[in-house]
Amino acid sequence: MKVTLSILRFDPEKDEKPYRKDYEIDVDPSFRILDCLDKVKWDIDGGLAYRRSCSHGICGSDAMMINGKNMLACQVLVHDFKNKYIKIDPIPSLPIIKDLIVDMESFFAKYDVVKPYLIAKSQPPAKERYQSIEDRAVIDEAVNCILCGACSASCPSLWTNDSYLGPAAMLKAYRFVFDSRDDAANERLDVVDSPDGLWRCHTIFNCVEVCPKEINITWHLSQLKKKCAMREF
Amino acid sequence: MSETAKKIKTFDQKDWVKENLSYHKDSGSWAWIYHRITGLALMGYLFLHIYSLSTLTSGKEAFEAKMKTFLSPPLLALEWLLFVFVLFHSLNGIRVVLVDWADGAKYHKALYRYSWIIGIILFLAMGFVMFSHEIFKLFGK
Repeated sequence: MKVTLSILRFDPEKDEKPYRKDYEIDVDPSFRILDCLDKVKWDIDGGLAYRRSCSHGICGSDAMMINGKNMLACQVLVHDFKNKYIKIDPIPSLPIIKDLIVDMESFFAKYDVVKPYLIAKSQPPAKERYQSIEDRAVIDEAVNCILCGACSASCPSLWTNDSYLGPAAMLKAYRFVFDSRDDAANERLDVVDSPDGLWRCHTIFNCVEVCPKEINITWHLSQLKKKCAMREF
Repeated sequence: MSETAKKIKTFDQKDWVKENLSYHKDSGSWAWIYHRITGLALMGYLFLHIYSLSTLTSGKEAFEAKMKTFLSPPLLALEWLLFVFVLFHSLNGIRVVLVDWADGAKYHKALYRYSWIIGIILFLAMGFVMFSHEIFKLFGK
């Protein structure tokens, strides 16, 4: 089966700005979009650059915008697309380093702000910090985040405001605020309870639509919003 | 800009207008876009509304004459259209409150569909109330 990949190309050493290039390739309908990119890179144009590590939806390297929507290239198949002219762009708003590779520095800087690590004030017990099954269930969904950046790069609030924390960072805040072993909920809530934090989430649900791990990020943010509001009483 | 980006040339693809226009939209994005548009339109209407009431300052007759023009069918139709904006903005407002304060985020698509259904029913009902005089005249009651 023939498909055409229309890929946004940018070489910082040669190009002033990105341009679109079409590649017609012969593939099996069960090919993932990542396999198609591999085919282009291996057989046609070795200069094509994109991130790829595990290629099974675990590492979160290959988030890109396919037909106008962010997704992992390793999680979608050619036969998922009716139109066999498939547009592939880097995820929006982040600076392009080369072709489909974007600079994720700002994404991880915001992630750092919410203190994405356990802060326990008590002495560690001899064996482990015990967490009951019920307590763990509260964060079951939130711990699945693979930091691919598809959510934050799909958020209209973030497109218009560079300093907005974005869904990924605040989901991580939820993961620790609602962790029964963590003692720094207030420190984290202080960070997200700001004009560039939770309150700039306009519940547009783009993040939920694109999350490759099917995390309902907006629901998690709504729990944080409630928690922040309840602090006032 | 980050340290990595400073060392090598990168392309800043930031363009919120282009992103908003070209990015794929699902019900949540449409709800947000319509909410913004109806909100701005209602704010504009508010000024128009206050302006139209300004004849109150020039006496009862002037005010009543002005109000009479608003009862003409074309203006009534416009007012019915205004109700579309009011309905969408208020029903979606309820949806947003449910998303933030209840577990609405888990049912946001169903909530969006329900607000349309309720909205259309209320719109038609309002049409019946507003044009009942004309409707009864048409069917000779």
